[in-house]
Amino acid sequence: MSKLLYKEFRLCMQPLVLIFFLFVLMLLIPSYPYTIMGFFICNGLFYSFTQSIADNDTLFTLLLPVSKKDAVRGKLWFMLLVQLALVVLCVPLMFVNHAMFPEGNPAGVDATLSLLGGLFVLFSLFNASFLPKFYRNPTKNGRNFLISAVLCFAWIIVFDGVMIAANAAQEFVPAFSWIETHLDRYPTCVEEWLTQGIFLVVCIGIFAASSEWTFRRSVRAFDGADL
Amino acid sequence: MSLLEVRGLTKRYERFTLDHVSFSLEPGRIMGFIGRNGAGKSTTMKTMLNLVHKDAGEVWINGRDFTKNETLCKGEIGFVMGEFDCYKKSTLKTITEVTKRFYPSWDEDAYRGYLKRFRLEEDKKVSELSAGMKVKYALALELSHNALLLILDEPTSGLDPVSRDDLLDVFRTVIEDRTRSILFSTHIISDLEKCADDITYIHGGKILATCDVESFRNAYLLVSGDREWLDALKPILVGYKPNAFGFTGLIRAENRDRVQGLKTAPADLESIMIYTEQEGEHEQTAL
Repeated sequence: MSKLLYKEFRLCMQPLVLIFFLFVLMLLIPSYPYTIMGFFICNGLFYSFTQSIADNDTLFTLLLPVSKKDAVRGKLWFMLLVQLALVVLCVPLMFVNHAMFPEGNPAGVDATLSLLGGLFVLFSLFNASFLPKFYRNPTKNGRNFLISAVLCFAWIIVFDGVMIAANAAQEFVPAFSWIETHLDRYPTCVEEWLTQGIFLVVCIGIFAASSEWTFRRSVRAFDGADL
Repeated sequence: MSLLEVRGLTKRYERFTLDHVSFSLEPGRIMGFIGRNGAGKSTTMKTMLNLVHKDAGEVWINGRDFTKNETLCKGEIGFVMGEFDCYKKSTLKTITEVTKRFYPSWDEDAYRGYLKRFRLEEDKKVSELSAGMKVKYALALELSHNALLLILDEPTSGLDPVSRDDLLDVFRTVIEDRTRSILFSTHIISDLEKCADDITYIHGGKILATCDVESFRNAYLLVSGDREWLDALKPILVGYKPNAFGFTGLIRAENRDRVQGLKTAPADLESIMIYTEQEGEHEQTAL
């Protein structure tokens, strides 16, 4: 696996991915739907996949002593590591964000553990919709990305939309009040930290389960594909 | 034990079927894999390596079932599909650095030797190489991990005559220790005449012949004569071409008694292929 990952990072990863990592600095913007930075990193992955097609990466990989299953595993782990790196980069900036904007983020979820959870769900949707389709036909991926982009934006709209609604209508709807205090805003007590922690763990669980599902579906799709 | 054994390999497409392809290759041999464009050479090679999903058949590499031991078998195979056309913006150095990690048997000295022999510069990017240099780089990579079996799809097609000749020398050197073998497809029949020990001939997805070159040649005779002979000989002619003096055609050697009095000559590989491929004009004769 380490050899395949080395290949992914040395030969397949586009510099654009590194540039998109800088989008984590969006957390220094006072009012912004921060979840969108997750989409940008997926965009970087899409460019890497597109370049991989132009570079005949799939054929090159399969001519190495590697099975189709391992080739899929390598690509998936490359995606997961890039996405996890973004999440890790978010963590210190979350605290900076809170120090700079203690009043919170009216344009979406605050820079909290919930944001990280939202990113994990977004990555789950992207990976599950993109990778199996990529391996069904490893020479085309434009339409696949379009479908994945629509799903990602649907999630961003729903997730940040709920947080915006909770922020705006918390005084009128009890459920929104709970969401605002326990999920949207920066936690102020142990209970709120715990709730957000549980939300994050659930989202990580979704990410892990969807990654396994994505892997199995991609392997099955790739098995029947002809190069 | 055969280094490569292909048994009943089948792949069905809408308009083409690779039909129960079977052949084997012993250690220390070079096998030429010939056939027209679209005959199924590349499909056979890709199906052998699971790049194309097979519908039936088995491939055994060095006594191991490829399907069950894919990773292990691939470690013993070097596969070159024409010129190296991957990672165009990367340098050869970077690509080699990545590639050699996958092969515990990587021979750095051999690699350096091939770089020198093929005049390849490691700092160059793939996009900066000529078509011939790309073929040479692909070969340098595959020759450097001590593959037991080299499968080469049109390896000499982009090369100039001097480079081709040099490469054929490399092929002979590679199999010298009698432990390694090469299967290579080509349209350049003169390359086969120079270095192939065996021939496998595919036509329309079916294997027409698989044997050593000498037996393949000896199975045919070229015959030429006046046109008045033509009608009588048509049933036994594999193929023929009328010319100003009469005709020249190909017959199976077992029919030599039926052309007594006519001029005959040993058949060369190119003639056998040309006359056999006259499909539609004359009835095909299975070899």
